[in-house]
Amino acid sequence: MGAQRLDEVRAAFLADIESAGGDAAAVENIRIRYAGRRSGLLLDLTAALRELPNEEKRDYGRALNELKKLVADRLEAAKSGAHTRQASGPGFDVTLPGLTLPKGAQHPVHLVRQRIEEIFLRMGYDVEDGPEIEDDRHNFEALNIPPDHPARDDQDTFYVSGGRLLRTHTSPVQARVMEQRKPPIRIIVPGKVYRRDSDLRHSPMFHQIEGLLVDEGVTFGNLKATLETFLHALFSEHGVDVRFRPSYFPFTEPSAEVDITCIFCGGSGCGVCSRSGWIEILGSGMVDPRVFEGVGVDADRYTGFAFGLGLDRVAMLLYGIPDLRQLFVGDQRLTRQFA
Amino acid sequence: MKFDLEWLRQHIDGDTDADTLSEALTHCGFLVETRDPSGQSEIWDVEATTNRPDVMCHRGLAREAALAVGARLKALDTTVEETGEQAENLASVEIQDEDLCSRYVGRVLRGIRLVESPVWLKERLERCGVRPINAVVDATNYVLLETGQPLHAFDLDRLEDRTIVVRRAHKGEVLATLDGEDRKLECDDLVIADRNRPVALAGVMGGADSEIGEETTDVLLESAHFEALSVRRTSRRFGMHTEASHRFERGADPLMAPVAADLAARLISQLTGATVSPGRIDVCPRPWQSKEMTFSVSGVSRFAGLEIAGDEIVRILEALEFRAGRDGDVITCVPPSFRGDIERVADLYEEIIRHIGYDAVPAVLPILRTPPGRRHPNWELVDRGRRAAVACGLTEAVTYAFIDPQVDQRLESWPLCPGPSIPLANPLAETQGTMRRSLIPGLLAAARENLNQGESDIALFEEGRVFSNPEGDCFEEPEYLSVVLAGGGLALPGRDAVDFLELKGVVEALLRDGAFPEVAWQRGGSPWLDEAEGAVLVDGDGGVVGVAGRLGDDEAGRWGFKQAVYVAELRLQAAAVEPPLPRFETLPRFPAVWVDITVEHGAALSYAGLEAAVRELSDQLVTSVSLVGRFTGKALGPDRVRTTLRLVYRHAERSMTQEEVNAAQDVLRAALVERLDVTI
Repeated sequence: MGAQRLDEVRAAFLADIESAGGDAAAVENIRIRYAGRRSGLLLDLTAALRELPNEEKRDYGRALNELKKLVADRLEAAKSGAHTRQASGPGFDVTLPGLTLPKGAQHPVHLVRQRIEEIFLRMGYDVEDGPEIEDDRHNFEALNIPPDHPARDDQDTFYVSGGRLLRTHTSPVQARVMEQRKPPIRIIVPGKVYRRDSDLRHSPMFHQIEGLLVDEGVTFGNLKATLETFLHALFSEHGVDVRFRPSYFPFTEPSAEVDITCIFCGGSGCGVCSRSGWIEILGSGMVDPRVFEGVGVDADRYTGFAFGLGLDRVAMLLYGIPDLRQLFVGDQRLTRQFA
Repeated sequence: MKFDLEWLRQHIDGDTDADTLSEALTHCGFLVETRDPSGQSEIWDVEATTNRPDVMCHRGLAREAALAVGARLKALDTTVEETGEQAENLASVEIQDEDLCSRYVGRVLRGIRLVESPVWLKERLERCGVRPINAVVDATNYVLLETGQPLHAFDLDRLEDRTIVVRRAHKGEVLATLDGEDRKLECDDLVIADRNRPVALAGVMGGADSEIGEETTDVLLESAHFEALSVRRTSRRFGMHTEASHRFERGADPLMAPVAADLAARLISQLTGATVSPGRIDVCPRPWQSKEMTFSVSGVSRFAGLEIAGDEIVRILEALEFRAGRDGDVITCVPPSFRGDIERVADLYEEIIRHIGYDAVPAVLPILRTPPGRRHPNWELVDRGRRAAVACGLTEAVTYAFIDPQVDQRLESWPLCPGPSIPLANPLAETQGTMRRSLIPGLLAAARENLNQGESDIALFEEGRVFSNPEGDCFEEPEYLSVVLAGGGLALPGRDAVDFLELKGVVEALLRDGAFPEVAWQRGGSPWLDEAEGAVLVDGDGGVVGVAGRLGDDEAGRWGFKQAVYVAELRLQAAAVEPPLPRFETLPRFPAVWVDITVEHGAALSYAGLEAAVRELSDQLVTSVSLVGRFTGKALGPDRVRTTLRLVYRHAERSMTQEEVNAAQDVLRAALVERLDVTI
């Protein structure tokens, strides 16, 4: 009977101390109720020891001591908590730190992805998705990169079994969407991509976002306006200028490399932009008619443009993160800066 | 690619300053990445894309630069003084495999002295990153850098029968190349041979046996055109990337061979005092064929979104050495031999827009002809999971999708293992050898890294795909959402260490916010999880939705954790694609009455079992059943538990009396005692 009473008191105490949270007044009331010097419950339990038959006294005494220690420890812990409730009055300090509530944070790469998705959703683009394990056709051939094409050297590929590979860019999703849907098509495709490359500036896994617009009468001027609008929105806090330079990609013709004024020096030239004042930000171009032919889109009727950029790189630029590889070790000190 | 500024300017008429030249090149597609002063000149690193082998030489880049700054490209002087016996009497060339070699031009030089090159030449080579060797080799490299045509000099006396045979290698033939390696040849390698044996790997590298040396007097200069694909395959198989293979692989100029041969012969003669034997040996089984292309001025204007003048188009094409003419709206043109990349009208559009200038095209937003954008359901699903995790206070990690095969093997016993694993054929490292089948290993590594960094409260999640290959061509990549809590976990006020119920609270929130189905928590997950503190989350059909619990001691030891670590993983595809729309329920108008009931029972009866029985057996006016407390102890006897539950009674239309509630409780007590082995 005595031991059972001990259990009940312990449970009640634990429930009370839990519900008191850090409230100093409530903790004090609990102290008086259980450990009060005149009428605390522990006194009653101690008194009960005398009433017990001798053979039960030893176990009961040990359990009682454990309970006393528990009560003392938990009361102490509750009182010393940083979030002790202050007594109201002239000494009340409003500058004490507030309670720290749990606060989560998304990874900067996903913040940037969502930021870009928002911009394009407003311009009427769908956000598409596709497999990370791809076949050669969608990753290369449908994009005008046949076997032995030198462009394959630039994209050193991870292979798995059955001739499958880890997609080296998000572009295969373009091909998949064009195979399934009739124009007009307006899509962006974010996602993980993989290249067999690892050094200070390369990670074997990284993130891209790809865009495609196909319709009748799409012009190179449309590409320029779309990407200018996008980059001005993406770097709205920096206010950048945009520059288009001819370049080469197997799946676009003509192709354009797009630069923004360096957000670190404002275009005057610094170490980040190799003194040029410009930072390469995305690749783009008018969809090569061969890509249209490969996926069954009428190249005489439709034109279109495509573009792609690295999400990790944008995150690094936008937030000033210096090291790409720092993004993929799960360092919560880094990510919590973006809470 | 590196260029010598003065060398470039030598090809351009007039005196354009370096800044203008650099800017103009960047704007027409050849980004000048760096400019470094070097003597009287500058070294320019210019981006030459793989489709433009014609600009991988000074003359080619100068052609683009000249047009871009509005200057003329200077004519090339190819005169060469010849004396002595006719070249064709001194050496002979035979092409056996015409499919891989469309043209082979030879020049013979006699009376070579192997001298050092003059300073100006050595400087130019060095600015372009080519090491000077001797005047003969330097001259061939010089002409390569100037015209893009790779050349090779053979010691004519070391060619059996003074004969060149261009053929595929015989299986088993071995060639010692200039870099000192013995190359075992395959039947599809194209070689330059003499009467008996291979003496060079065509378009890639010369052989050591026929290399020119101190004793060389007569030289056969090779200037040929080899098929791109064949050179590429051979150079790749041997891992030999040379200046020559770099250009042949991308497509050299089929008409440049004789020009380059003349230029090199003249230069070698000037540098070494050798005489050039009259005439070229020129074997050309497959002459280059030009092709005519037509397009319309209005077509390219429409495509660009800019009115372009027909005469402007002709001017651009002619400056790029196309033959071009206009008849009203129709432009007819023939691309030059060095522009193998021009195959279709789209390629011509690019040339024109590129030189009109991308800046000149007005930016006009496209007309919106699609419905408002929507996100793919999978993105909605994974981001809903992300938001739920962030709302719990978890921090997102992104870890590599490949893991250590040894860890992967242990995942066979993981209740959420998606199926057979997918090893990488060519991993970067052994420890990144296979595609992950769980996000837990990546998160454990991240947790450990954070602890090493001195973090004490670890609360991480990751959303990402896991991978499996159930059979043959079928590859699956389901989305998982996983959690790791260690040390102080979420650092909730008043708690010093994470425990099972903290993890369970997180998981329950994820299940609720993620629109997962109802799940039952069943003990499981060992050996990854602790025998006692591990649970498998099962839906109504018995499908595994998730796993959650304390990392087992063995596994914790393998990862080097000294503290308790809690993990959970959820299969996101188990959640509803679209969360159900919330529905308003009428707010109660009458007060509730609550009453506690204490039940003593065996430990074998789980809390979930007890609660379910109470819910089932209690009066229909009971609106909630919740846990107040749970006692165990010696006084109860071993394996006995006392549980106190709180029941809330509420009638929608009136207040309830204590008597009503007491009567209902009596019924419940009796029913519980009858159903379960309990005392009340």
